[in-house]
Amino acid sequence: MTQVAVKDEAQEPERSLLARIAAADRPTLALIGVLVALVVANGLIDRNFLSLSQLRNTLLVTAPLALLAGGQTLCMLTGGIDLSVAMTATAAAYVTGVQSSEGAVLAIVAGLLVGVVVGLVNGLAIGLFHVNPLIMTLGMSGILTGLLTVGSQTFLGGATRMSELVLELGGGTIVGPIPWNLVVWLLLGGALVVGLRRTGLGRLIYAVGDNRVACRLAGVRVWQVEVAVYTLCALLAAVAGILIGGRSGSVDLQLAAGFLLPSVAAAVIGGTSILGGIGGYTGTILGAVILAVLDTMLNLLNFDEALKQVLYGFIILALAWAYARGTATGD
Amino acid sequence: MTAQAAIRPLGPTRRLARRHAWTAAVVAFFAVLLAWSASQTRNFGAFELQTLLASTLPLAYLAMAQSVVVIGGGIDLSVGSMMVLVNCLSARLMEGTDLGGSLLVAAGCLALAAALGALTGLVITVSKVPDIIVTLATSFVWGGVALFILPTPGGGTSEGFSALVLGSGSAWWPALLCLLAPLLLVWAPLRRSRAGIAIYALGSSRDAAYLSGVDPLRTKVVAYAVAGLLAGLAGLATTAFTVGGSPQSTIAMNATLNSVAAIVLGGVALSGGVGGLIGPVFAVWCLYLIPNIMLGLGVDPSYGEVVKGVVVVLVVLAGGLLRARRNRAP
Repeated sequence: MTQVAVKDEAQEPERSLLARIAAADRPTLALIGVLVALVVANGLIDRNFLSLSQLRNTLLVTAPLALLAGGQTLCMLTGGIDLSVAMTATAAAYVTGVQSSEGAVLAIVAGLLVGVVVGLVNGLAIGLFHVNPLIMTLGMSGILTGLLTVGSQTFLGGATRMSELVLELGGGTIVGPIPWNLVVWLLLGGALVVGLRRTGLGRLIYAVGDNRVACRLAGVRVWQVEVAVYTLCALLAAVAGILIGGRSGSVDLQLAAGFLLPSVAAAVIGGTSILGGIGGYTGTILGAVILAVLDTMLNLLNFDEALKQVLYGFIILALAWAYARGTATGD
Repeated sequence: MTAQAAIRPLGPTRRLARRHAWTAAVVAFFAVLLAWSASQTRNFGAFELQTLLASTLPLAYLAMAQSVVVIGGGIDLSVGSMMVLVNCLSARLMEGTDLGGSLLVAAGCLALAAALGALTGLVITVSKVPDIIVTLATSFVWGGVALFILPTPGGGTSEGFSALVLGSGSAWWPALLCLLAPLLLVWAPLRRSRAGIAIYALGSSRDAAYLSGVDPLRTKVVAYAVAGLLAGLAGLATTAFTVGGSPQSTIAMNATLNSVAAIVLGGVALSGGVGGLIGPVFAVWCLYLIPNIMLGLGVDPSYGEVVKGVVVVLVVLAGGLLRARRNRAP
C-alpha cells in the first residue's frame, strides 16, 4: 500500500482540481455528446425508439456487452488483453444451464466458478510465467472451445434449459423499462468504477499499465495484480454469459462469440488505451451504450449487415484516431 | 540480440544454430507428427500429402502474412477478413470464366489486397494508433465489404484454376509450388533488400531503427502491403479449395486467431524483429496434423482444439523461459 501513497503524493501538487476534471472529462463529454446525438437521431428516425419497450430492448443488449467490456477494460488498463472472454461467457452459461436441475443458485455458483478457474489459469500464466496475454487467452479460448465441444456430448450432456431464476435475471423485467440484468450490471459496474478509482488494487492496475518496471522496483507484486485482473475479467465474463444465456433461454457454443470484438471496441471507443494505464470504466460504459444504440439505429434504418460492419469499423478507427491526436497534443 | 553478441561473441556455427534452432525444432516436430500420422494410415502416399498441402494452403499463406507484420513490430487482426474479402470477390468474379479469365481476376485481387494492406500501414503510421486497434477496425470494414460483394455463400471458379493451385487427385506438387512461389519470389528477395532489413530493424527496436535512418512510414507500408498480398493469396487459395466464396465473419476470426497461434509456434516473437516465414508454415502443418492423429488414436478430434491450445501456450511459455535464462546468463 505504501507505493500507492507515494504515487498519490507525487501527483498532489499538480492537482488543480477544476483543470484536472476538465482535462480528464473532455473525452467523456464528447462521448456523451455523440450518444445524445445518436439517441436524438434514433428518435427522429423512429418515434418508437424513445418508447419504453424499445428502451428496455436496448438496455437488455447493453448490460452483457458492458460487463464483458468491463473485464476487457481491466485487462487493457494493465496493458494486456483477454481474447477468451467470449468463450468464458459461453462456458459459464453452458455449465449453468446443465446444472440448473440441481437448483438455480447452485447452477449460478457453478457457472461463476468456471469464470474464476479460467481467470486464475489465465492470470497465473500471464503474471507468473510471463506468457504473452494475447497468446495465453487465445490458447485458453481454443481450450475452452474444445472442452465444450466434447463436453456437450459427454460430461456436460443433457438438457441445457436455464432455470427460472436465470431466465428472469437475463430477460425479465422489474418495472416498466428496467430489466433485471440492468440491476446486475449497475451493481457490478458501480463497484468497478469505484474500485478502480478508490481502492489500492484499482490504482495498482493503472500503475502496472503505466510503467511495469517502475512498479516492480517500487515493490509492487505485479503478478498478483495481474492474477486479480484476469480473474475479475473472467468472473465478469461469466456473469455476462449467464445473463446472455438467460436472455436466449438455451445455450449453444456460439452463444457469446459475437461479443468478443465489440467488447474490445467498446473499451477503445470509451478511451481506454490498449497500451495500458489510460482510460476507465465510465468511458467503457459510454462506449458500450453507444455501440448498442448505434446497432439499433442501423437496424431501424434497415441497413444491411454489410454496411453496418463497415460503419462500425470506421467509427472505431475515427475515435481511436481522435484519442491518439488528443494524447499527442494534450500533454 | 546485438547487445548480447557484443558481450559474448559466438562462433559462426553456434550463431547459425541459435538463429535457426527454433525453426529446426518445429521442422523436427512436424517430421515426428507426419511419421506418426503416416503410421496410422494404411497406404500413406501422394494423396494424403496432397490433402495436407491443399487444405492447409490458405492458412499457410495467412501465417506468412501475419509473420511479416509481426516481425515488423505490429500485429494484424484483419488478415482473416482480408482473406474472406478476396475469397468473396474472386469467387464472384471468377464464376463462369475460363482459366485465363480466372488468372486475370486473381491478379486484380492480389493488387487490390496489396493496396489495401499498404493503406492499413499508412493509416497506422500516420494516425499513431496501435496496430491492433487499426486492424481491428479494418477487420470490420473488410468483412463488411465482403458481405456486400457476396451476401450469401456462392460464386465459383474455373476448374482449371483449382487444378492449377491445388493439383488434382494425388498430384501434390502444384500446391507446394504455389506455397513456395511467394516465399521465393517475394520474401527471399525482400529479406535481403534494404526494405526487408528495415522491417526486422523496426520490429526489434523502433527508436534505434529510426535513429539509424530507417523510415518507419515506408517500412510499415511495405510490411503491410506484403501481408496484404499474402492474405490475398490465402483468399485465392480458399476460392480454389472450396470452389466458391463464403462471407461469414466467424471464418475470418478463426483464421486470424489461427494465424497468430501458428506464427508463435513457428518462432516469430510477438515483440517483433525475430523469426522467419518457414517456421510458421511448418507450424500450420503441425496444427493440422494434431487433430488427424487424435482421430487415428480413437480420441474425439474435438479434443484437438484443447491440445492445440495447450501446445501453443506451453511453447510460448518454454520460449519465454529459455529467453529469460539466456538473457540472465553472463
